[in-house]
Amino acid sequence: MDTRAIEKIVKEALSLGRKNLVEPEAKAVIGHASIPVPAHRVVKDVADAIEAAKEINYPVALKVVSVDILHKSDAGGVALNIKDDKELEIRWSQMILEMADEMPLSVIEGFLVEEMAPSGTEVIIGGIRDEQFGPAVMFGLGGVAVELLKDVSFRLAPVTKEEAFAMMAEVKSFPLLTGYRGSTYKDLDAIANAIIKVGEILIQVSSIKELEINPLVVYERGAVAVDARAIIS
Amino acid sequence: MKPVYQMENSGISFFFNPESVAVVGATEEPGKISNIILRSLLRAGFKGKVYPVNPRYSSVLGMECLPSIEAIPEKADIAVFAIPAPAVPNALKNAEGKIRGAIIVGGGFAETGEAGNALEKEVREIAARAGIRIIGPNCMGIFDTASKLDTFFIPEDRIQRPGKGGLSIISQSGSFAVTAMDELAADGIGVARVVSYGNKTDVDEADCLDFLADDSETKAVAAYIESVDDGRRFIEAASRCSANKPVMAVKVGKAGAGITAARSHTGAIAGRYEIYRAAFKKAGVIELDGYEEFLAACKAFGMQGRAKGNRVMIITDGGGVGVGLSDACHALGLDVAPLPEELSAKLKSELPPYFAIGNPLDLTGSATDESFALSLQKTMSGDHYDIAIIAALWGPPALTDNLPAMLAQKPGFTEKPILICTPGGEYSRQRFKLFREVGLPVFGTPEAAVRAASVLARGARRG
Repeated sequence: MDTRAIEKIVKEALSLGRKNLVEPEAKAVIGHASIPVPAHRVVKDVADAIEAAKEINYPVALKVVSVDILHKSDAGGVALNIKDDKELEIRWSQMILEMADEMPLSVIEGFLVEEMAPSGTEVIIGGIRDEQFGPAVMFGLGGVAVELLKDVSFRLAPVTKEEAFAMMAEVKSFPLLTGYRGSTYKDLDAIANAIIKVGEILIQVSSIKELEINPLVVYERGAVAVDARAIIS
Repeated sequence: MKPVYQMENSGISFFFNPESVAVVGATEEPGKISNIILRSLLRAGFKGKVYPVNPRYSSVLGMECLPSIEAIPEKADIAVFAIPAPAVPNALKNAEGKIRGAIIVGGGFAETGEAGNALEKEVREIAARAGIRIIGPNCMGIFDTASKLDTFFIPEDRIQRPGKGGLSIISQSGSFAVTAMDELAADGIGVARVVSYGNKTDVDEADCLDFLADDSETKAVAAYIESVDDGRRFIEAASRCSANKPVMAVKVGKAGAGITAARSHTGAIAGRYEIYRAAFKKAGVIELDGYEEFLAACKAFGMQGRAKGNRVMIITDGGGVGVGLSDACHALGLDVAPLPEELSAKLKSELPPYFAIGNPLDLTGSATDESFALSLQKTMSGDHYDIAIIAALWGPPALTDNLPAMLAQKPGFTEKPILICTPGGEYSRQRFKLFREVGLPVFGTPEAAVRAASVLARGARRG
C-alpha cells in the first residue's frame, strides 16, 4: 500500500478546505491500496470526453465530479452504458441541463469518463473511525439489504482474512454470493482483500474519517470498486 | 477523559487480598453504610485487620476506633470511604502513605453534574499524587468470597450473598451487581469476586479484566458494561482474559446515536452498539443479550464449563418438551444432530422397545432414574455431542429424588456441560434445589435452557 501517495491526496484536498474527497480522488486512494477500480479519466469538455471514451473503449459511464454533490445520481449526474460518440454528446448535454436544474449552485470540477463495469453482485464496504475503538470496517450486500434491512456486519481494524470471511458469512444475504438460485459463486477472496485494505487505509491514514466503496461489483473472478467516497478532516 | 499519569504499582490485585482494611466514617448507628460494611466484614469472617476510623468514637462494634487514617499503626492495604462526598478529598490527602487503595462508595461526584465532576477530578488528582488506586466513587465496591471482603452496603436480609464459586462479575452499575448477586445466591450459584466500580475514576473494566485474567479463583467472567472509555485498552485486557477463561458481557444503552451525521451509509448505519459488538468479537468476549441472558450465562458458566462445539443431545421423558427444546436449539443455531447409526442400535438393544430412540431421545412416562443415567452415558461418552440438555418432567412415577445426583456423576464425559430443563409447578420447582446441590444448572423453560446452551457453545470459538 502506498501510504504516502494516499496522504498526499488527502492533504491536498484538506489544504483547499474540503471535507470530503471527490470520486476520482477516493478511487485513487483505494487504487493505491491495490483495490481494483475501472479505467477512468477526468475531463473538462465534451471533446476531451470523446477522446477519453475512445481510449477507454465503449461502453462508458459519465459522472459529474463535484465536491458539492454527494449523491450524484439523485442530482442527475450519472449516465451509464454510453455506447458511442454520438450518445456521449447527447447524454453530456442532457446532464448539464439537468444539473443546472437540480443543483444550480454546485461547483462542477469536471466529469469522469469511466470504463463501464459489467454487472455482477454489488456489495458495500465501509470504513469508519470510532472515538473509543478506532477504525472499524462494515460489510453488506448492495442496495435494499443495507439501506432498509441494515443487514451488515462489523469488525474492528485491522481485519484478518479469517475475520473478513466471517463478516461475509454473518450477513443474511450471504447466499447471494455463493450460488443462490443458480447464480455463480463469487470471488470471496477479492471481497476479503477489499475489506482488509479499507481497514488498513484507516489505520495508516488518520486524516480519513470515513471511506466507503459502494458498490464493489463482484464477479466469479475479481471485483471492481465502481464508486467510492471519503470523509476527511 | 482520564488524566495521563503513571502509577508506580499499576496492578489492582491488592484490592482482592488485603491484609488490612480501614473503614473511614465508621459508626455504631445501625443501617448506616459504614455500619453495614463493618458488620459484613465481621460476619463474613474477613481474616485481616479491620480499622474503624472516626474521631467521634473510641470504639465501634467492639473494635478500637481510630481518630484518623494517620493513626493507623503502620499501613492499611485499602480504605473504604463511607463519608459524604465533600469530605473525601481531605480524607484522601491525609491517607497519603497510609493506604494503597481506596474504595469510595458514596455518590455526589461526576454523576451529579458540574460541581460533582470538579470534586471527582480533585479526588483523582490527589490519589494520583499520593499513589493511591481508587475504586469508585458511586459504587458498591468489592464482594469477594476468597478474601471475605464485602463492601456492598445493602444488608443481607435484603440482598443475599452468594457462596464461593468460580464466577467473577464486574459491573459499572452497583444496583445491577447487587441484583445479579442476589439472584445467583437464590439459584445456588457461587461467585469468586464481584466488583462494582461505579464512576470508574481510576479502576475500570480493563483493570479488572487484567487482574481476573491471572486470578486463579476466577474460572469465568461476566461483565455489565454501560460504556468503555479506552477501547483499545479494553480489547487488550479482555483478549488476555478470554484467552485464559470464558469472558461474557452485556452492553446496555444499545440505541446510541450513530457515529457521524449520515455522510456515508456506513456512518449512518454504524451505531455505538455495532462497534461494541465488533470490539467484543475482537476480544473473544461472548456477547450477552440483556438481563435474562446475563443470568442464564452466569448460571451456565457458574456451574459448568464451556462446550467444545454446538452439537446438542436432548434427553427427555416428555415428547412435547423435547420438540420444543429442539426448535429453540435450531432458532439459536445449535445443532441437534441425529443419533449416529451404531449408537442408535446400541440404545435400542439396551432400552425398552417403547422408548423413542432419536434426538430428542424420549424416555416417555416409563422413564426411570436409571434410564436417564444410561441414556446420558451412552450418548455423551463418545465424540458425538458437546452439550446435553436433560428435560426432566416429574410426572413419571418411577423418577426419584436420586435422579439429579445420578446425572451429575457424568459417567464417561466429565468435561462436557449438562443443562437441566424442568418445567412444571410446585413439585417440579421444589426439585430445582436438588439439581443445584449437585452443581447442575436448572431452568424452568426450554427457551431458558437453550439460551444457556447457546452461551456455552458461543464460548467454544473465537473470532
